[in-house]
Amino acid sequence: MTTTNVAAVIVTYNRADKLGKVIEQVLAQDRPADQVIIVDNASTDGTADVLTAFEGRATVHIERLATNSGGAGGFAHGMAVAYERGADHVWIMDDDCYADPDALRELLDGHASAEASMGMRLPYACSVVRWTDGEICEMNNPEPTWDWGKLLVRGEHSVLVNSCSFVSVLFPRWALTQFGLPLAEYFIWFDDQEYTRRLTAAGPGVQVLRSTVTHDLGVNRGVNFGDVNDGNMWKFEYGVRNEASYRWHHEDPFAALRFAQRLHRGLAGGRVPWRLRRRLARKWLEGIRFDPKPAFPRTVL
Amino acid sequence: MTDPHDQTGARRVFEILQEPDWFSGLSPREARLLDGGLAFHCLARPGERIRATVLRTDGPHLPSLTDHRTQRIEWADDRRVVGTIEAHATGTPVPTTGVVDVVLDLGGPPGSLMRLELPPGRVHAVRSVVRGRAPVVFDVLRQLRTDRLENRRLSRPIPRVGRADVTSAGSSRGSTKAVLFGLHWLELGGAEKWAAETIGMARAAGLFPIVVSDRPSGHPDIARPVFDDALVIPLTHPVPAEHESRVLSQLFERFDIRGVHVHHCTWLYQRLPWIRAQYPGTELVDSLHVLEWRTGGFVDIALRMSNVMDQHHVISPQLRDYLVDQQGLPREKVSLATLADLTVDPSGQRAEPVSTRKAGDPMTVAFVGRFTQQKRPYLFLRLAARLRARLGDRVRFIVHGDGELASEVRADHARLGLAGSVQLRGTDQPVAQTLDEADVLVISSDNEGVTLTSFEADAHGVLVVSSDVGSQASVVLPELLLPRAPLPFLRAAEDVLVSLCEDAERAAHLLVEQRGKVDAFADLPRARDWTRYLYERWAS
Repeated sequence: MTTTNVAAVIVTYNRADKLGKVIEQVLAQDRPADQVIIVDNASTDGTADVLTAFEGRATVHIERLATNSGGAGGFAHGMAVAYERGADHVWIMDDDCYADPDALRELLDGHASAEASMGMRLPYACSVVRWTDGEICEMNNPEPTWDWGKLLVRGEHSVLVNSCSFVSVLFPRWALTQFGLPLAEYFIWFDDQEYTRRLTAAGPGVQVLRSTVTHDLGVNRGVNFGDVNDGNMWKFEYGVRNEASYRWHHEDPFAALRFAQRLHRGLAGGRVPWRLRRRLARKWLEGIRFDPKPAFPRTVL
Repeated sequence: MTDPHDQTGARRVFEILQEPDWFSGLSPREARLLDGGLAFHCLARPGERIRATVLRTDGPHLPSLTDHRTQRIEWADDRRVVGTIEAHATGTPVPTTGVVDVVLDLGGPPGSLMRLELPPGRVHAVRSVVRGRAPVVFDVLRQLRTDRLENRRLSRPIPRVGRADVTSAGSSRGSTKAVLFGLHWLELGGAEKWAAETIGMARAAGLFPIVVSDRPSGHPDIARPVFDDALVIPLTHPVPAEHESRVLSQLFERFDIRGVHVHHCTWLYQRLPWIRAQYPGTELVDSLHVLEWRTGGFVDIALRMSNVMDQHHVISPQLRDYLVDQQGLPREKVSLATLADLTVDPSGQRAEPVSTRKAGDPMTVAFVGRFTQQKRPYLFLRLAARLRARLGDRVRFIVHGDGELASEVRADHARLGLAGSVQLRGTDQPVAQTLDEADVLVISSDNEGVTLTSFEADAHGVLVVSSDVGSQASVVLPELLLPRAPLPFLRAAEDVLVSLCEDAERAAHLLVEQRGKVDAFADLPRARDWTRYLYERWAS
């Protein structure tokens, strides 16, 4: 009989107000994670104080980064640490994600039974992500496969997906061994899409409908290019560069052009100022030249 | 003098009708090689009398005990006849007529075989000259080729033998419970050290050890006490095809072989599908040590045979990840159990992780290992030359070992002007003494599993600096891991060692961290426990 070592990885940056609850929810799982790895992305608020309170907990391991490496860099680092510490599964989430008490157990069970039903290894399992009012969280909807209902008709409570966001996703160790880590160079946005799509080379992912978490976002709204403004421009710049890079280098140039068309329509629909549109166009072009390669974790234990 | 025959298990398969006078003149090694050869021929021809002409030589020639040459009654001019001997298989009627003649060549003394150089041929000669004269350039090219072969190998699926669906009881069995072991050779090496350990454990569990080896060698370790009372058959190839199945089936008919444990033995691996088909009740397991990126080595042979095998024991997390994650073997079929306690008892007495180097003392940097291409002693010597130029008398070196590159190491030592600063030590001196004197151990290998010397070094309070190969990352600190490619290795090693020499406080801190890392590795399941449990089950 083999036992499964699960490492939860939480990446945080200046979320001292929510982080404590996120960690408590992970520690209170009815199937506890064997390790809880928290990556502090060089926060400048009271995060250090929050983490100090958890430092003595038996399963908690804190990684303090010297510079902010973005969500992508934080997840890549945390997953590499989990891998080096011998994790068989890595369960990752943001610092504003509250996991329901059975979220991890349901993910593990749902993933195992989906694999048994499909007769193959599946590279990840994600939870259903709710907003604070209990509705579906628009930003974290996975993209289903064409045969998404295959497991449903077999009585499984899971659907097959092509991609998902990094809000409660479980990766088996072999997926990291074979496909490496998320692209730290993306810094933020589309790192989750690129990574989960990369992994689907081995088979579809699965969304386990009985595993649920709450994403405590300010507003429940997905990514929409019509929302670009001076305040959020920096994030959209990363998003456009990263998606253009992904479409061009990992799909085909026509996919990148279709993305450009979608970008143009979204910006025009939101009447985004031309100076911002021009900056995003430059980012799209930058994406064509931008093609980072994945790093692979090192086997230690 | 005790008859060497009395100490082996060979008497279980043959009898010597009349022991000749010359027999006591054989060394224990030669006597056991002869036993192995006779055992093979008696098993291959049950019921027949085997008349052996026994040869030896002073030259660098390997034994010939089971191959087709044993059936020819002519031999090379430099062989001397030691004598003749007649044996017959036990438990079978001895015919009054009919004698099968074989010629058993015990080969040259082990000392001459150690220097056995590359195979003949112009290409090998050129290769040898280039390697001797420009070892670093040779190594740069070699590593580039390794990278290319590694990428190519990983991009292709490894073929697998078909599953065996045979569930019948199989052929008849003997009564003495036994384990059939497959070894590479009976020479020094990490895998062989572990194999010898398991042979002792089988005996302790009440299982009779039968050992076949398949690699040409003088088998210097065959006379070790661990092989006492074992039936050892050192195969020499090519074994005549008709004898292969006969020898194996005779072994299964005379003994109740509960399990086959393969330790790096290609010949036995390749016969596992047949064994599974003929003797399906026998459990088939192996122990795997190192992934060879150029060819896949034994790990890929094990993968090919995995469908007919029950368990793979791996000694490093890297191998587990390769077999389970990369190659998709079921996790429960791969058992990680380490050799952390094979040469060092982690619960026993170990030096405190405290540097004994006082301020102003020179830092002692050691190389411990066989002088082979894999261990790259020439890189260590070049590193010593660089450090000597940079740090002068603040650093001294010990190179401890022997092996096929010994003459090149000595030539390099002289050529690089290292006589005053690099002390060469042979294998006649204890490794413990070198580690007691050393502050840092450098492992410059281009491939490893997990080096046992890393554990020994840590137990002596010595920091380990190593190339980042195999599972070395499991026991060596990340800041002390170096690139595999030779030039980056030399640059990085130079920087690391200079920093350790100049910052004793950092070195002391790293030593404490290293102990923590070694202890975390030692907490993984142990190979001894895994094997003991397995053999007790086989013996029950």
